[in-house]
Amino acid sequence: MTRDAIAAEYVLGTLEAHEATELRALMANDAELAALVADWEQRLAPLQDLATPEAPPPALWTRIEATLDGAAPEQARWRFPWPAFGLGASALAASLAALLVLRPPPAASLMTVLLTSTDQPAFLVEAQRGEIRLSALNPRGVEAGRVMQLWALAQGATAPTSLGIVPASGRFSVTPQTIRPEPGMLIEITLEPPGGSPTGRPTGPILFIGRLTTAGSS
Amino acid sequence: MLQSVRLFGVAMAILRDRDAASDAVHDGFVKIARRAAQYDPDRGAAEAWLGSVVRHAALDIARRRGREIPTDDATLGDTPVEADQLETLASGEDTVRLRECLAGLPEKNRQGILLAFVHGLSHPQIAARLELPLGTVKAWIRRGLLSLRECLT
Repeated sequence: MTRDAIAAEYVLGTLEAHEATELRALMANDAELAALVADWEQRLAPLQDLATPEAPPPALWTRIEATLDGAAPEQARWRFPWPAFGLGASALAASLAALLVLRPPPAASLMTVLLTSTDQPAFLVEAQRGEIRLSALNPRGVEAGRVMQLWALAQGATAPTSLGIVPASGRFSVTPQTIRPEPGMLIEITLEPPGGSPTGRPTGPILFIGRLTTAGSS
Repeated sequence: MLQSVRLFGVAMAILRDRDAASDAVHDGFVKIARRAAQYDPDRGAAEAWLGSVVRHAALDIARRRGREIPTDDATLGDTPVEADQLETLASGEDTVRLRECLAGLPEKNRQGILLAFVHGLSHPQIAARLELPLGTVKAWIRRGLLSLRECLT
C-alpha cells in the first residue's frame, strides 16, 4: 500500500489497532504523512453528518471536568506558551468551542472570551448561578513582580469590583457576594502589583477584556 | 444543533452503546483539552475537527472491544447508510462534491466506505455484511478511496 492509501484507511477507520497505533506514532515525526492524513480527514469529514444526532447523558460534562481537574501532571502543560505548539487564534477558539459544547443547555448560563488588545482569545469566563469561573485558553506568565487581577463591571456601575487574583494555573472560581453576573457585564483582567491593586480599583493596564453574554445552543 | 448532540451521535453510530459513546466523547475532549490533538484552521472547520477527534476515540474503543458488535446488529440493520441518505447531507460545496464522487462509485464499493466511516465496521465485518469475500472488500475499498481522491482533486 502507498502511504496515501494507508492514510486513507486510517481516516476511514479500517486499520487494525496496532496499525493505527503505529501510524499515529509515525505521524508525530513525519509531517508529510500527517498532511496526508489531514487531507483525508478533510475529504471525508462531510460524512460525519450521516450519523444520527443524539443527546449525551447530562453527567458527561461533569465527568470530563473531573478528569481535567484531577489531572495534576497535565495541568502543567496549560502553562506552556501556545506558540510552541504552532497554534493560532483559531485553534484556541476551537479548543474553547470544544470545552463549551458539551455543557447541557443551562437555564441561565453566561460566558465570554477575554481577548487581548489584538483580539487573541486568552481566557474563557463562564458564569452560572452566581459563580464565575475563569480558565486560561492561552496561559502566559506575567512580568516578574506583577500579578493579574480579575474585575467585573456591571452595566451602569461606576467602578469595577475585584473578583480576585488570577493564579498561575489560570483557572479559578469565585462567587462574588456584592454583585451578580448578568448579561452585558464587563469582565477584565488588569496588571497589578503583588497582592492586587492597593486602591481597590484597577491601577494597571487592561490586559484582557470581554462582555458576558448568554451562552446558548448553536 | 448543539455540538455535543452531533458528536455524541458520531460516537453512537460507531459504538451503539450510550456508555461506550460517552467514553469516546470523554476521551476525545480530554485529548483536546490536553493539546494532544491539534487543530489546523487551514484544513477545514473546527466542527469537522472535533468530529474527527471524537470519531477516532470511538474507533479506538471499538478496536479495543475487538469490534465484536455483530454485523447483523438490529439497530444497524434498521438504519443502513444508503446512497439516498447522502441526499440529506448539508449543501456545502465540499459536501456536494463528495456526494457526487461517492455517487460515481459502484454501489457495494460505496456501501463499504460508508459502513466503515459512519459505523466503524472492520474489513471482515463489511465483508460479512455485504456477503463478499474479504479480499474483494479490501480491494474495493482501496480502489474506492483512490477513485474518490481522483474525483475530488
